[in-house]
Amino acid sequence: MTQTVQAEPTTLGTAAARRRGRPSRKQPRARTGMNARSNTMAYLMLAPVVILLTIFVVWPVVYAVYLSFYNWSFYTDPIPVGWRNYMNVLGDRTFIESVGRGLLFAVMVVPVQLVIAFLFASLVRTVSGRVATLLKVSIYIPTIVSGVIASIIFVLIYNYQGGILNAFVGLFGVEKQAWLGNVSTALPALAVPAIWLGLGICSLIMLAGMVDIPATYYEAADLDGANWFQKTFFVTIPLMKNIFLFLLITGFTAAVQQFELPLVMTDGGPLERTLLPNLYIFQHFRNDTYVGYSIAAAILLMVVLGSISAVIFRVLNSEKAVDG
Amino acid sequence: MAVDTPVTAPAISEIGRTTRRQRGRRDTGAKGVAVLTGKIAAGALLVLLALFPLAWMVIAGFKSRTEVVATPFQFFPEVWRVENYQQILADPEFVRSMSVTFGGAILFTLLSLTVNSLGAYAFARLEFAFKNVLWVYVITTMFIPGMAILLTSFVVVTRLRMLDTIAVLVIPGAASAAHLFFMRQYYLNVPMALEEAATLDGASKWGIYRHIFLPMSKPVFVVVGMTSFLAFWNSYVWPIMTITSRDLYQIQQFLATFRSERAAELGMLMAGSTLAALPVMILFLVFQRHIIGGIKIAGLK
Repeated sequence: MTQTVQAEPTTLGTAAARRRGRPSRKQPRARTGMNARSNTMAYLMLAPVVILLTIFVVWPVVYAVYLSFYNWSFYTDPIPVGWRNYMNVLGDRTFIESVGRGLLFAVMVVPVQLVIAFLFASLVRTVSGRVATLLKVSIYIPTIVSGVIASIIFVLIYNYQGGILNAFVGLFGVEKQAWLGNVSTALPALAVPAIWLGLGICSLIMLAGMVDIPATYYEAADLDGANWFQKTFFVTIPLMKNIFLFLLITGFTAAVQQFELPLVMTDGGPLERTLLPNLYIFQHFRNDTYVGYSIAAAILLMVVLGSISAVIFRVLNSEKAVDG
Repeated sequence: MAVDTPVTAPAISEIGRTTRRQRGRRDTGAKGVAVLTGKIAAGALLVLLALFPLAWMVIAGFKSRTEVVATPFQFFPEVWRVENYQQILADPEFVRSMSVTFGGAILFTLLSLTVNSLGAYAFARLEFAFKNVLWVYVITTMFIPGMAILLTSFVVVTRLRMLDTIAVLVIPGAASAAHLFFMRQYYLNVPMALEEAATLDGASKWGIYRHIFLPMSKPVFVVVGMTSFLAFWNSYVWPIMTITSRDLYQIQQFLATFRSERAAELGMLMAGSTLAALPVMILFLVFQRHIIGGIKIAGLK
């Protein structure tokens, strides 16, 4: 891994000797002294990050696992309940349905994102520098927008009265819709801003993977008379398998965990049709002073997501990836 | 408290560069014209889809309150009004939210850069006991989803009496394994020769970090700093859990509250959203140029 200079040498001579690897009698003692000093400095430098991570990440995880086995609210002593919180969560239809809804949401968001990102990358790699920069900056800009602002914008776009979407579909003779109020359109309506917000990162990673493919592969394909589709399906896509895998898993976990958009845009409605799992957990946490249940639900969701990601990885990675 | 991966953010302008050889192979003739037209159309469509919602937000800020959702729909206002922008800028709560969030974001970014780069340097360049154990310990935290710790983090900050202070916004998310990892990758690629020369001159490890690594960190600091600033500026869930006094309302919190409390003032809401998006937009566009200079980051992946 890393090769480092051990510590400050006391004199030029010993340093030079050490670098040439010549053993010297003084070295053992000097080394321990230096190591001790190096240790102290290293620990001082690591202390802030390690302490902060311990207090605000590691301890909350340990604490969450602990509390998920207890009945506890802020003002009472914890009472051990064994697996009861988990049993309650698994027996809660609202939670199970919200997880299913999260998966459905991911199915709406991720494939669209991947396809657009792929087309974007295919386009950008064929255009010249300035145009490419313009396209890259444009597609990345929505990524910088906050979930709250995206929600505000899209709620107005979907507005029944005078919303731009109704005006647009009106051109084709379609009747006005309450996009966010209708049980059948609410979740897809939520998927659109999710796609919009996540597209930039997805596209640029896709592009980074695509430009890594050596030009010689395409030249060889050209010599064989391959057209664009053949080059895309037999050269580009097989060589970008790992990128697709990465984007699929990260996009999938992000989509299932989406919760700012439903929180601001619909608050889970109508009829819980946009109640994604994290929103459900969050609402439960705010309404129920006994937090064990909410925490158990959060941990279960983490396990479910981890398992599904592992399965996606296993299935797609089972064939050996083609070497680039 | 959002766990983000800066690894994906850097050097937008660097990725996707076409080589001269690729570019040289241009089709000519009728087919070439058709392909070119198709490309222009596709590119224009992409730019339109990406920027349309934002353009609409900016323009709606110039409309009167009823005009924003008037039927029949009109994209441009009848009269371009600046009242919305003036009124929202005259709203002391808006201005305070913007300032408090901006100050907090600066503190957060500085703290994040400091603790993560120190840790990154130690992992990249120092040898010490239990290095591997600590490395695994730190990196594992990268894979914990936000929701799993959100609830108990709230319990922790409540116990630490941090609720409703600026500290609760700045401190808990500052240490980030993802940022540390990203910076370490950068430091690993710094040539040893510089360090050896400094060591011969009697520089200490701290001196090497301070005088060699810090000045060289600009490209990586730009990327990590931008990511931190953005995460702080855009965060909404953590502030609504931990901040209750209006004096400390974060900008996203302000916008959401404004939307529910003054639902009729749509023009002002859109003007406020535009202004709230402005600082990060400007930062992004400015750093875009800096990032072009930091070519190496893209090569580190």
